[in-house]
Amino acid sequence: MFGPTLKAMLTPALTLAEGTSAYLPIALILIMAISFAAINLVGTTLLGPNRKGERKGMTYESGMAPIGTARKRFNVRFYLIAMTFLLFDVEIIFLYPWAVTFPNLTPRSSEGVIWLTRIAFFMLTTIVMYLYGRRKGVFKFD
Amino acid sequence: MMERLAYLWPEIALFIGTCIVMVMGLSHNPAVRRLCSPICGIFIVAAGVLAAYTTPWGESAVSIAGQTLLPNMPIFAKVLISVVGLVLLLLLAGTVDRQEEGLIARGKRAFDPLRTNRAEFYAFYLFSLTGLMLCASADDLIWLFLALELTSLPTYIMVTLSTSANKSREAGVKYFFLGALGASIFLFGFAFIYGGTGTTNLNAIHASFVQNGINGIALAGLVMALVGLGFKIASVPMHFYTADVYEGAAAPVTAMLAFVPKTAGFISILLLCATIGWQYVPGGETALMPAVGVQGVGGTALPEPIRVLLWVIAAMTMTVGNVLAVMQASIKRMLAYSSIAHSGYMLVGVIVGPGNNTFATSGVSAVMFYLLVYGVMNVAPLAVVASLEKPARSDDEPTEPETLDDLRGLWKRRPALAGMMVIGSLALLGFPPLLGFFGKVPLFTAGISAGEVALVIILGLNSAIGAYYYLRLAAMPFLAETPGAVPSESYDLHPRTSRTFAAALSASAAVVLALAGSQLMDISAKAGYVDSRVNGMDRLQPFKPKLTSVEDGGRPANGAGAVVAPAN
Repeated sequence: MFGPTLKAMLTPALTLAEGTSAYLPIALILIMAISFAAINLVGTTLLGPNRKGERKGMTYESGMAPIGTARKRFNVRFYLIAMTFLLFDVEIIFLYPWAVTFPNLTPRSSEGVIWLTRIAFFMLTTIVMYLYGRRKGVFKFD
Repeated sequence: MMERLAYLWPEIALFIGTCIVMVMGLSHNPAVRRLCSPICGIFIVAAGVLAAYTTPWGESAVSIAGQTLLPNMPIFAKVLISVVGLVLLLLLAGTVDRQEEGLIARGKRAFDPLRTNRAEFYAFYLFSLTGLMLCASADDLIWLFLALELTSLPTYIMVTLSTSANKSREAGVKYFFLGALGASIFLFGFAFIYGGTGTTNLNAIHASFVQNGINGIALAGLVMALVGLGFKIASVPMHFYTADVYEGAAAPVTAMLAFVPKTAGFISILLLCATIGWQYVPGGETALMPAVGVQGVGGTALPEPIRVLLWVIAAMTMTVGNVLAVMQASIKRMLAYSSIAHSGYMLVGVIVGPGNNTFATSGVSAVMFYLLVYGVMNVAPLAVVASLEKPARSDDEPTEPETLDDLRGLWKRRPALAGMMVIGSLALLGFPPLLGFFGKVPLFTAGISAGEVALVIILGLNSAIGAYYYLRLAAMPFLAETPGAVPSESYDLHPRTSRTFAAALSASAAVVLALAGSQLMDISAKAGYVDSRVNGMDRLQPFKPKLTSVEDGGRPANGAGAVVAPAN
């Protein structure tokens, strides 16, 4: 009973071994990505000027003087703001590809209506989320 | 593209309900806040009615080009979800923030939207039901994955919110991380299935399997997907979270966990197995068949590697669940292991497949029916537990009875609740006149007709083990209270009557639905219908999986391979 099963379980590994040539491009991309990062890191340390000093080591070299440490506790409100920002951020990310694709739809077909309804529904959900956040008191600063 | 919308009306209704509840629940007016649970109920009923009237099934499902593998499953599953969802809502109503709301009502604290979680609790419940219905209407692996996540993510939060005790937070965190692990495993599996077949459309995957056989990569994907989905149904290699999570959550949420993720898991597993396709095996040749007087009924079986995998999982799940349930002293842990065991029972139906589409031989129908039976009857014991509470002291929330001993003497104090507990646990045991018995019978008959005799024997033995702890649960209310233990007098009926009402509904359904059993069985037989022409079961030959390599079987042939070319 288990003989064929074992064989079947091993088959994926065997087929993978057979078809490795198909994965060559992925390997190439991996190598390129790693070497790009490595070359940049090594290159800047070798070629770039290396100046040190108190002023050079400041957070904003020619800006304002930093006050205190960044590692302190924030009001939880900032995280709520960050979440709300994420909400609109994601909405924009979805709107871009939609707006780019919309002109390419078949003119005067039902496609346009469907696409418009889809994005309207999506924006409606965002509005509901905004209403929820508002009632929850995320935007209230006292 | 527009036709797909035909599947989505109930989900849209639930989603609108979610939005309304989420915004309304934050109103400063307590009367508006109190409207949340009735509105939830209205939208669940609306979703059920919409599902019954708009969801395509049979020939209309085929013409609309949804998934045609289990054409009648979506409508059945959705109506079932809204019915059980309504009972669960009665139980869940007002679970969270009781202390806070009480203080506000007595004017001791002002309403602060940031402190309350009640609106979110209802909203997450509706989100979860939306995801569950989306699972039922899925015709694509990506759709299925997103629907499963929409089902699960709110449940993690509901577990965490359910009580203010630390054990709920612990349970929520455990559930979340293990859930993420399970999801990543079946998502990896889905990716492999896509890699092996070149499509994510379930119909097209099935067509590819029929035409090209199951290649190694797709097989690896199927194995990973089935094991990962095992998390949702709490089957054995993925069952470790169950007891802790069920125990940490409040009893109403525990009742929800036993229905919502399990139903999602079984719907997905049935869909996946339908894409593999059950193959016809001539059942009359099985040695046992003449002995039990069943002649020549044909059974169905999954291809060998998948069958063996599910066979082992089912046998282990039943046994581990039942044996560990015997050892438990806590009510909720015991019911958690019993829920594991019930998943094992249902997996027998998945292995057996549709047979010749009659109720006696169809394991798919048996699973459908069992989901209904289990969803209905499992509410009763947990609703009784939720109805009994120790009144809150100072700042604590009221506490539920935890151990079996806490139920002692219940018959004397609350005979009605004790009666519901007895009916509920006897129904779970599968005691003949009750609903649980009618749920188990088709699993036995379908198993025998498909020749899975060994598995049916394991199922029978496990039911016998189950009798021990279910009878203990049923007997506890009649026993005298132990002197010296926590006086169970202090566990009293909670003022909120909707929980007791849910218990009464569930217990009476365990009796009444058993009387209407034959109608329900007819409906389930239709729901589990699998087209033998589509699935090649009429070829009358035992199926041998043709294992092909990626090179020759990886891509389905153009046109012929795809039943439905996915638009867009």
